[in-house]
Order: sequence, then structure tokens, then C-alpha cells
Amino acid sequence: MSHSKRAEVFTRDIDRTTWHDETLWFVRKKRDLAAYALPEFQDLRELASQIKAHTLSQLSQYLTQFEEQAKQNGVQVHWAADAHEHNALVLEILQRHGATRIVKSKSMLTEECHLNPYLIKHGIDVIDTDLGERIVQLREEAPSHLVLPAIHLKKEDVGDTFHLHLGTEKGEKDPQRLTAAARKHLREKFVAGEVAISGVNFAIAETGSVVVCTNEGNADLGVNIANVHIACMGMEKLIPRLSDLSVFTRLLARSATGQPVTTYTSHFTKPAPGKELHIVIVDNGRSRQLGRPDFRNSLKCIRCGACMNTCPVYRRSGGHSYDFTVPGPIGAILSPNIDMRKHASLPFASTLCGSCTDVCPVKIDIHTQLYKWRQVLAAENELPASKKWSMKFLGRLLASPAMYRFGGKAARKGLRLLPHGLTHAPGYNPWAIARELPEPPKQSFREWFQQQEDPA
Amino acid sequence: MSSSRDAILAAVRASQPDELPLPTVPLYGGDASVERFTEVLRSIGGEIMRLPDHAAIPAVIQQLFPVLGPLASTLLPATVAVAADTPVATLDAVDVAVLQGEFGVAENGAVWVPETNMLHRALPFITQHLILVLEEKQLVATMHEAYARLPSPDGYGVFIAGPSKTADIEQSLVIGAHGARSLVVLLIAG
Repeated sequence: MSHSKRAEVFTRDIDRTTWHDETLWFVRKKRDLAAYALPEFQDLRELASQIKAHTLSQLSQYLTQFEEQAKQNGVQVHWAADAHEHNALVLEILQRHGATRIVKSKSMLTEECHLNPYLIKHGIDVIDTDLGERIVQLREEAPSHLVLPAIHLKKEDVGDTFHLHLGTEKGEKDPQRLTAAARKHLREKFVAGEVAISGVNFAIAETGSVVVCTNEGNADLGVNIANVHIACMGMEKLIPRLSDLSVFTRLLARSATGQPVTTYTSHFTKPAPGKELHIVIVDNGRSRQLGRPDFRNSLKCIRCGACMNTCPVYRRSGGHSYDFTVPGPIGAILSPNIDMRKHASLPFASTLCGSCTDVCPVKIDIHTQLYKWRQVLAAENELPASKKWSMKFLGRLLASPAMYRFGGKAARKGLRLLPHGLTHAPGYNPWAIARELPEPPKQSFREWFQQQEDPA
Repeated sequence: MSSSRDAILAAVRASQPDELPLPTVPLYGGDASVERFTEVLRSIGGEIMRLPDHAAIPAVIQQLFPVLGPLASTLLPATVAVAADTPVATLDAVDVAVLQGEFGVAENGAVWVPETNMLHRALPFITQHLILVLEEKQLVATMHEAYARLPSPDGYGVFIAGPSKTADIEQSLVIGAHGARSLVVLLIAG
């Protein structure tokens, strides 16, 4: 199903669509306040972009350096070429420890690899501990936003879910009390967790450390209680130096939610005495993306979500309409690399207004890449027939002045004579589903111009 | 799985472009004042009190928590002993932890807490309330100065900025998600 078809489902609830739009715009405004309060914000974006560009240009060296340092720190480093290998590696570690109850903090990578269903299939009880992720897990849904996984839900929805699964009172919709119920429920899970899985925000080549940023403290609580910590990272998370973190920690939370920094910025370098720390480095298409010069820069992404908060299409279509782990503009340039056919409609889910590029803290040229993916998709014959043939037809028409003039005349006349039901038929004219066509002018500009007297 | 490792590294090597320069990050400078740190910490839900010296801490704890549950600390006489091998049930019962912070960052209210100051890695998170003691002269302006202070990240270390929080339900800010429900920084003059 295409993005527009799924978006149609989301937008059927007009009030909710408006609420979703306004809520994300509110987050965008908080981002602006935080960004403008920092005189060097634009400098930092440029630095972050350059540090990432450098790292990607030397990625194999930094990966090797990171591995070497981490091993010296007593960390066990694993490599996974794809999602399946990643999942199998994680399962193997769990089975080696006889673990059946695990807690997991936010990791878009494990979402990308569909780790949860894989583990559950193998008899592992996996609990997502980020509040938003726990909510969508209980509802058997996917997160709809990078940073705000349950942003598509209203508090009443959460209340219903918690009533069903956590036994809160029916009709309870107070965020404070709902969060308290989740805290109690998840404390039990934390305390019982045998192995904890976390994502990784940044990996430091020079020290072999991984850095995890959260507001809730769920990552630290989980991994510091469990005997085994498995940190799963896409290989683009690397940065060269510990001091580079200063740039990224100043940008990440400001861009994501407008906070000056996340509540917890945790640096894991060595396992605690008697415990184990595993790091799984995952490729899953990233080396392929690195080899596409037009799309390479998408690997700079630090998953702040600013591009989706600002995107007029995302705000009004919801994260689930993208049907990809990472929704929004950044997801629309990452997803075709993973499965071009499945995600062929996503690069078209954009007005190319460029707002995503303007707010990106690492200066990814998102809207340019969206445009370039469209060219690739057309060349690969991945456009729907209606779009392909209408574009071909329009190309011919616009290339011929005579046909263009005739076409204009026919359209002006036709629109006046044809019945409204036909000119606005959703099957022929999806543009007019929620809009009125303007009244056709009596003549074209050219015709009018020719009637004017020569001013000279 | 060394075969995957080598194959991945080979694929990366084949795909990566010519080397691009690594920029130098300036320090930028900025406001490292107590006032700035206080303002930012309060804005993110933390509390702060200025004390003349360490001797004033116990009275403040008494004032903040008139009915005090189990207290763990590296700085005060504790009512529950915590070490790296303390069982999780004991940790889960801790009401207040009083720990030493190394330095604070004025631009974001964060305090650096290395593993050596934590007693147990889970303690700053599992405790219901967290109190960080910080010397007033240990304030820096920005994260650039903060990382310039860190020769190495230790085995484990955390910047803690305010209490645990979430806005995952309709963007409503709720303090006390999974970690500490409150955070007080005790700033020691000098």
C-alpha cells in the first residue's frame, strides 16, 4: 500500500489529524527556541556535519579502532551483516545465559531488525521499557515517531490500553497517574530482567565507549541491574573522539524536543565487575548506502526527529503511514535503500519544501535526496503506471507550444462545460478530493497579451 | 562470526569516499555562573540549594525528607549499605541517595557522575530521590568545557540533568518516569 493510501486512513479522523499536526508543530517551536538561544547553533550544525562526513570517509578505520579499544575494555564485540544475523547473535547470547526475561530500552535498530517478534518466537519475554514504546508494544503497534513513539495516541487511548493490560481504573486518562502506573509495572520488569538490551546514540572510536541518551532513565536502570548488557548499534553511530560528543550532545536534545540536553547522557566503556557488555555492530544495508554518493549523507542522521516534527506531510499523515521503522523525511530517504519496491512511494510523500533540511542538526540535504530518489525510482521503473504515463504525456505536451496552446484552450472550455462530478471525480482527479478547482479563466495570458496595444 | 566482520569491513572500505577533513571543535566559552546553572536546572525540573559547607548537608536532608526511608551515600552516614554486589531488592528499597558530582554544566544543568561516585551503577536511577553534591567552583559553561575536563569516560559515567522525566503521553511532561523522582543539587560554596 502506498503512503498516500495509508495517510488517507489516518486523515479520516479530522480532529485527531489536526491535533497531531499542532502537537508536532509545538515540538518544532520548542526546538526553535532552544536553537535560537544558542549563538553558535549554526556553527555546531556545520561542525557536526563535517565530523560525520569525515567519520564516514574513514569508517572502516574507525570501526577497527573502536573494536580494538572496546575489546581492551573487556567488551565483547560482534558483527552482523544483516538483520537476521543481528537477531541470531542476540538470541545466542541470551541462550548462552539461559535468559528468558529481558528488558529493552529504545533502539530503532532493533525495530529495524524486527528483533522483538524474533525473540518472542524463540520463547523470550522481551519488554520495551521506554514509556512510549511500552504503550505501543502493549497495543501491538509500531512506534510512529523516532523520539515520541506514541505521539499518534491520545491519553484516552493510553488509558484504555493500561486499563486492559495494567489494570488501571477504567476511564483513567491523567498522564501523571498513567505514568505512575507504568513506573510501577516496569519496576517489576527491571528488577526481574536477566539481560538488558539498549540502543546506541554514539560510539566513540578513540575510547571504545558507547553513549546512550534518555530522559526516563530506563536504559541505565535496565542495563545496570541486569548481568548482561547488549548494546546494538548501526555502524554509522561512530564518531572519532570523546570531545566530539560535546557537539552532538549540544545538538541532539535541542533539535529533538528543545531540551538543553537529555536527562541522562550515559557513557558505557567497561562492563561492571563480574558482568558482561556486548556490542553488536550492524551493517544491514549501510555499506551499500555509503557507496551511493547521492545518498551517503543520510548516514549522518542522529535520529533526533526534527525533520518529522517540521514536515507538513508527516504532521498531517502520521508516522504509521510511512510503514517503515524510521518515518518522516529521513525515513523516506533511508527506506528505499532497504527495499526500493516496498517503499517506492515514500520519496513522493513530500512537498520538497526543504524545511527538513533547514532543521537537520547534521545538515543532511534531505529534500534534495528525496528528489534524487524520485529520479532513481523512475529509472528503476518503480513509479505507478498512472504517474509514469501522465508524466510522459505531460512532458510531450509541455515540450510542444502548439499542443500546449491547444491543451490550454481545451481545458478552459472543458472545465466550464463538463459537469462538476466529472471534473472533480476522485478516480480521475485525486487533487480535487478535498479541494475545489479554481474557475477557469476566459483566456490565457498569451491571448490577453496579444490583445494589448504595443506600449511603444 | 569473523567472516561477517571481514566482509563488512571490506564492503565499507569499498564504499567509503576519499578522506574528508576532521574539524577542530572550538571551546566557544559562555556563562559558567551559579545563576545560569541554577536557572537552567530549575527549568528542567531540578532543585538547587547553596550551602556554606559540607557540614550543612545532614540538616538539609532532614529538612527535605522529614520522614526518611533507606538512605545510601558515599558522603553521609548511610542507613543502607550499598556496594557493587548489593542485591537488587535492597537497591529497589533505597529512598534517597546522596552522591558526589564531579562538575556541573551551566548551559544545561547536567552534573557529571562517574562510576566511582555511585556505589552501584544502578543507584542513581533506582533510588526514589537523588541528591548530588557539587562544589560551586566546579561549574563549566558548556559541554565543550565539560568534555575537555574528562580525560577518559571511566568504566561508566553519566551526565545527569534533572530528575527522570517523560512526555510520552500526549506531550504532557511528567516528572519521575523510571529513574529518580526528584533531583536536588547541593552546591557547596568555596
